[in-house]
Amino acid sequence: MAIRANPKLIDELEPYGAEDVVKCYHCGNCSAVCPFSEAPYVFPRRPMRYLQMGLEEKLKGDLQPWLCYYCGECSDQCPREAEPGETMMSLRRWLTSRYDWTGISRLFYKSWRYEVGAVVVVAILTIIGFLAFGFSQGSIDHYDGPNAFLPSSSIHIFDWTLAIVLLALLLSNAARMWWFTMGRDKTLRVSVGTYVSRAYLLVVHFFTQKRYSQCERKSPWLVHLGLMLSYVTMLILIMFFLAEMASGPGVDWRVHVFGYIATIGLVASTIVFLRRRIRKSSAAYKHSHESDWIFLILLLAVALTGITQHILHRYGVDVAANLMYVTHLAFVVPMLLLEVPFSKWSHLAYRPLAMYFAEVRAAGLEKAEREAAPAGDLQAA
Amino acid sequence: MRIGVFICQAGIAEAKAVNLEAVGLYASNLPQVEVVEVLGLLPKVDPDEVAKRITESQLDRLVIAGDSPGFFKPAFTRAMSLAGGEPDEVRLASFRQYGADTANSTERAKAIVACAVYGVPFSLAAVPAQTKMHPASLVIGGGIAGIQAALEIADAGKRVYLVERTGTIGGHMAMFDKTFPTLDCAACILTPKMVAVGQHENIELMTYSEVESITGSPGAYKATVLRNARRVIESSCVACAQCSDVCPVSVPSEFDAGIAKRKAIYIPFPQAVPNAYLVDEASCTYVQSNGTKCGACAKKCPKDCIDLDARGDVVKLDVGSVVVATGYGVLDASVIEPYGYGVHPNVITALEFERLTNASGPTGGRIVTKSQRLNKKTKAEEWVFDPEGAPPRSVAIIHCVGSRDRNYNPYCSRVCCMYSLKFAHLVREKLPDAECYEFYIDMRAYGKGYEEFFQRIKQEGTFVVRGRSASVSERDGRMLIKGEDILSDRVLEFPVDMVLLAVGLTPTERSDQIAAMLGIPRDQDGWFTEADYNADPTGTERGAVYVAGACQGPKDIPDTVAQASAAAGGILKGIVSGRGVDSLGSLSLEEIEARAKTLVAG
Amino acid sequence: MEMAEPRIGVYVCNCGTNIAKVVDCDAVAESAAQLPGVVVARSYKYMCSNPGQEMIVQDIEEHSLERVIVAACSPRMHERTFRRALESAGLNPYFLEMANIREHVSWVHDDGEEATQKAKALVHAGVSRVARNEPLERMSVDMCPNTLVIGGGIAGMTAALEFADAGKKAYLVERLDHLGGNLARVDLTAPYLDSARDIITDRVRRVTESENVEVLLDAEVRSLEGFVGNFKATVHQNGRPGESGSDVALDVGSVVVCTGYKEFDASRITHYGYGKLPNVITSFEFERMLREGRVETKEGKPPQYVAIVHCVGSRSEEFHSYCSRVCCMTAIKYAREVKSALPGCYVSDVYVDMHAFGKGMEDFYERSSELKTLFLMYERGGHPVIRKADPGDDCGMLIQVDEQLSGEVIEIPADLVILMVGMEAREDSGDVARLVNISRDKDGWFIESHPKLDPVATTTEGIFIAGTCAAPKDIPDTVAQARAAAARILGKISVGKIEIDAVYAEVDEDHCSGCRICNELCPYVAIEYDPETKRSHVISALCKACGACVAACPSGAIKARHFTDEQIFAQIEGVLA
Repeated sequence: MAIRANPKLIDELEPYGAEDVVKCYHCGNCSAVCPFSEAPYVFPRRPMRYLQMGLEEKLKGDLQPWLCYYCGECSDQCPREAEPGETMMSLRRWLTSRYDWTGISRLFYKSWRYEVGAVVVVAILTIIGFLAFGFSQGSIDHYDGPNAFLPSSSIHIFDWTLAIVLLALLLSNAARMWWFTMGRDKTLRVSVGTYVSRAYLLVVHFFTQKRYSQCERKSPWLVHLGLMLSYVTMLILIMFFLAEMASGPGVDWRVHVFGYIATIGLVASTIVFLRRRIRKSSAAYKHSHESDWIFLILLLAVALTGITQHILHRYGVDVAANLMYVTHLAFVVPMLLLEVPFSKWSHLAYRPLAMYFAEVRAAGLEKAEREAAPAGDLQAA
Repeated sequence: MRIGVFICQAGIAEAKAVNLEAVGLYASNLPQVEVVEVLGLLPKVDPDEVAKRITESQLDRLVIAGDSPGFFKPAFTRAMSLAGGEPDEVRLASFRQYGADTANSTERAKAIVACAVYGVPFSLAAVPAQTKMHPASLVIGGGIAGIQAALEIADAGKRVYLVERTGTIGGHMAMFDKTFPTLDCAACILTPKMVAVGQHENIELMTYSEVESITGSPGAYKATVLRNARRVIESSCVACAQCSDVCPVSVPSEFDAGIAKRKAIYIPFPQAVPNAYLVDEASCTYVQSNGTKCGACAKKCPKDCIDLDARGDVVKLDVGSVVVATGYGVLDASVIEPYGYGVHPNVITALEFERLTNASGPTGGRIVTKSQRLNKKTKAEEWVFDPEGAPPRSVAIIHCVGSRDRNYNPYCSRVCCMYSLKFAHLVREKLPDAECYEFYIDMRAYGKGYEEFFQRIKQEGTFVVRGRSASVSERDGRMLIKGEDILSDRVLEFPVDMVLLAVGLTPTERSDQIAAMLGIPRDQDGWFTEADYNADPTGTERGAVYVAGACQGPKDIPDTVAQASAAAGGILKGIVSGRGVDSLGSLSLEEIEARAKTLVAG
Repeated sequence: MEMAEPRIGVYVCNCGTNIAKVVDCDAVAESAAQLPGVVVARSYKYMCSNPGQEMIVQDIEEHSLERVIVAACSPRMHERTFRRALESAGLNPYFLEMANIREHVSWVHDDGEEATQKAKALVHAGVSRVARNEPLERMSVDMCPNTLVIGGGIAGMTAALEFADAGKKAYLVERLDHLGGNLARVDLTAPYLDSARDIITDRVRRVTESENVEVLLDAEVRSLEGFVGNFKATVHQNGRPGESGSDVALDVGSVVVCTGYKEFDASRITHYGYGKLPNVITSFEFERMLREGRVETKEGKPPQYVAIVHCVGSRSEEFHSYCSRVCCMTAIKYAREVKSALPGCYVSDVYVDMHAFGKGMEDFYERSSELKTLFLMYERGGHPVIRKADPGDDCGMLIQVDEQLSGEVIEIPADLVILMVGMEAREDSGDVARLVNISRDKDGWFIESHPKLDPVATTTEGIFIAGTCAAPKDIPDTVAQARAAAARILGKISVGKIEIDAVYAEVDEDHCSGCRICNELCPYVAIEYDPETKRSHVISALCKACGACVAACPSGAIKARHFTDEQIFAQIEGVLA
């Protein structure tokens, strides 16, 4: 059965950053230099081909864009300057928008105005919301303890509700991802056992990003890992030790020390990434999509406002601390609510998932081959 | 008639572009021109809007001007037909085609626009005046193109000076083993022509010489030729080889593409024309030591025709016309790091392989891998081709090395696909048990009998892999080649004994000086620009100066030979009629415009 | 009468290793040295090289040789070279004999022993023959300065103009009623999109206005007699409707054949549905659309999807195995032109290998990719299938391609399909070949005298070929060839005389019975019958010394110079000895 090509898809992908893919004349150089490109996943050329021909369904079901870490080797050596690395990046953006059933992410990638707009709106609502809440039940000059402006207990509840909402969104998108890439593929026959036995990979990949380390250049992996770990540490602190975090003015070393490390990690890595993007230091940082900037800036703002409100609180200037806290939340909420399910942040979830799926899929194919093999031998005999 | 002029640049280097405003202003003052619009660089021309414009100003003729206006023509033609006008009345004024692509050629651009406005082809209006022709001609470069052009003119009974930079004529073709697709041995078909040149009473051959300057005007050029000191008297040398036998210095041989050594006093190859030795001063001990050391060859020479103290001299020539046939260079493969040329011993270039497989080459035509041996002088291990060396069991040929690649040469070198197929044939013919792989992107077998040759090579058992191999590394002494096999969608990585790089062609390093000297332009890739891509592929801006062969762009032998004869034809025309033509540049805007007017009338 | 054995020199060429790798050249030389009359016998690496020839010349002087044998490659390759060497030493060139021990021995035998034996035998044959060779003198005839150019396309007009500019007469014969050929049907040229129309206008106007060019439109060459330098051509010019045509007799020195090509008939390929599907058109039909500014479907709507299919009739064993050389770039040109005429249109390009080999072409190809042309690759000899789209589709047709770069079977939408029809030899190329006595290859293209170094000459002296009648070619290469052919002829014209080989047949009129068997037999129409004397005689300049008449003559009245029975028998004896 022939697959229908869709010459128009190229236009649709352009806002996601894939304008150079049209130049590719398929010499195969990129797939040969890519450290991750090995059977059954030979890329970036194949996904680029699907994109040129507009094979939308194939692309939607393709895990390969997630297996690329954009080290830029392919783009550096490409004879036609077709930017294979950037094409894979834009495919990841596009896939994110396809996994997301709300259609919000699609809007964000279509134009940065939507994303910025959304961020601003959510931020304002957050500010209004928390100020109202604060004044309704506490006093601006108390940071913690009784009639604190924003008592950690209530924030704690807020955080968890938010977390549940996000988790729901993420999971539903992840489920769609699974359906596109694994579920609907009738030819693929993998047992639940295979899923279970490979489940550990999800964790491994999430926390180590170990594939990333296979790239020629190691520093992007390290910085990326640093950012990711600091982020996760902070997340854990907030979700489980919020009370201790907010307590003060004395420093509670049991928790705060982790907070400090994580903050340093966040600030340092975001600044590194920003610098590289500004200097376009290597292929991977040449083409920055608006969403990349928004994400980094939000992250940096969150970290800085977070630490400032913390310090202010230590020095007992609670009014300023509270105001800074609100500002902090005004960055945190949009950053979580918009970036996690709909934009750049979701990579953090989709990548390990993709690798997990990829391994499962590969195992499935292998099994199929093994089953086919004896028959072949019989014929041979 | 009401005419509209639209100026659109398809977008070559803006810095070079002509002053469009000035051209526009000029156009607006031409008769019947109602509308002039400067749409500028890479305009998005919408046929419907243009159609409106046409109906508004009731235009009967459109002139599209710019570096390559043809790129916009279909839009304007469609607009014309939408507006119910006469589609044939869309005229092109191409700056690029008629040599007005630099800032200082604005006057030419105006003339081109004027012709289009009058509806007369520029080439018809811009005909330079005829000049008195000096019957002698100068041919620069003694490769197959130069040889062909020289013979063509000389056989017509006219004097030719053939100036060749190296010690012999023959050029690259003399280095080749066989020629595709007929597999004629190159020497067998070339040497007769070389001999003919050497013997021809109408050809004065000046080898080991360079044209220093050319002054004067078309039909009456004065050329200054620097005749480097050969240090061997051509006429009396009998090429007995006794001098080189005693010469203590040996350096890599240019003719053998560096895979074999020659002495400081040497003959490029046995069939060299002129068949005389020469001294390479750069490596000669005597010359380098200002006559204090060595000099063994001079003592040994039985005809004592060696004069190591000889000095070069300068010759002045009067010629009517010039043929530039300076050929090509090859890209230095070592700049492409992933292929490890110069790092891995058995990664070799096309020219090296030509010499390796050539009967007159260092291994007597045996295809062998390099073997390691101790260099007594430097006490260092070095890799060399030894006739007794081990033949490769597998050979990989990589196409498009440095060609079709934005990082090196963006253009296609036109001959590599075919010579690579020829290599595959030679390997399979000489080593029937050896496996041979071709890594290609597009198999450009375009010429007469080429496609058939390609099919034959496949039938002979060569594996053709679509996909340009990405890298070559070394694993336990063998070359590990990696690339994607696109048709089977796999990344291949396997060891071979020898990798041949089909290295692309480049303009010669002196081509910029030659262009400056002769006043002929070069294209963005550095090749000499012909007068008109289609209508005059061998003429140039400069009257009575012709280009032939690969110096105008990569080319195979038949196309080169045809061009060489064509260039000679341009000269013979002048000689037979006794009149040459002046440079296009000699024409003033007024002259061209005036002639265009009369042509419309007539 | 028995004459003293002449002094013979034998030279065995190693041809690098071409001969030496199989034949023991020294052994051959040694055995030759033993033969009667042989004074010197040498073996050398390259006899054709300067030192090789020097060697012969010196020996002729030192050993006062009277005959020379060179055992080397085919005489076609180097006989002339060595004859010149003999002449330069003051020896009659026909005292040279060549023994072909390369093409006839080393290239076709592996067994060194036997090969060497055969080589010895061939040398022996040469030795015993050369002793009986007679001194012959070449003659020369005047060169008629007029030229006949057949075909009024870009090649023909270019060639004619070369002569005109040189102040020489050219007759330009075109079978149609207008000049321009196939290029006149083209709007713009690849890769720079220059105006083809300007080129043609320029040429046509120059040709028609030049007093040196006589244009014969609506005319055909009916016969060509004579020989290089002195041809007599009869051109039949059709009169206007009603009027009967007239024959024109022309004296010309040379002929340039520029009869061009015809396009492949797309309806021969059923799976493209040309002729059945209204919106499947050929490249030339699309050129017309471009010229008229109406890139539209038969329904009169601008297409949303345009597809271009390459290699239609080319590079396939079913039709033509060769590549038509220009279609790829023309296809890219169309992609550009469609994008210009219809900015919103999607173009897909179904190709096999992209032949963007010439100057500026790779750049042209790349720029068209940047314009989002979708390139799909099918296998050489593959069968993309064009069918009508289903009602629900947003396109008129669908092309199914077994797409090589993705390994998927792909269907692409199309409202207009352009078939890049290849070039093929004109159906009348056989007649033309016969008329001017040149040969054609398996595809019907005219054969050049040497594919590498003599692309415009033919094996018949004075007859030249240029442009696409020899093989597919783009405009610059065609123009170059037309000028190359003109250059050859101008060279001869400026010399004014032509040397004619001294080897030809002679009729001993005393023995000729006037049976006229030979007249019919001669493939070069070189034998004339004189009704007065009732005898036949040979026009030496036309005779190619094929020997047909010699063998056929019942009264043995015809003798081939340089191939006398005596010489041939001696040669045979030599082989058998």
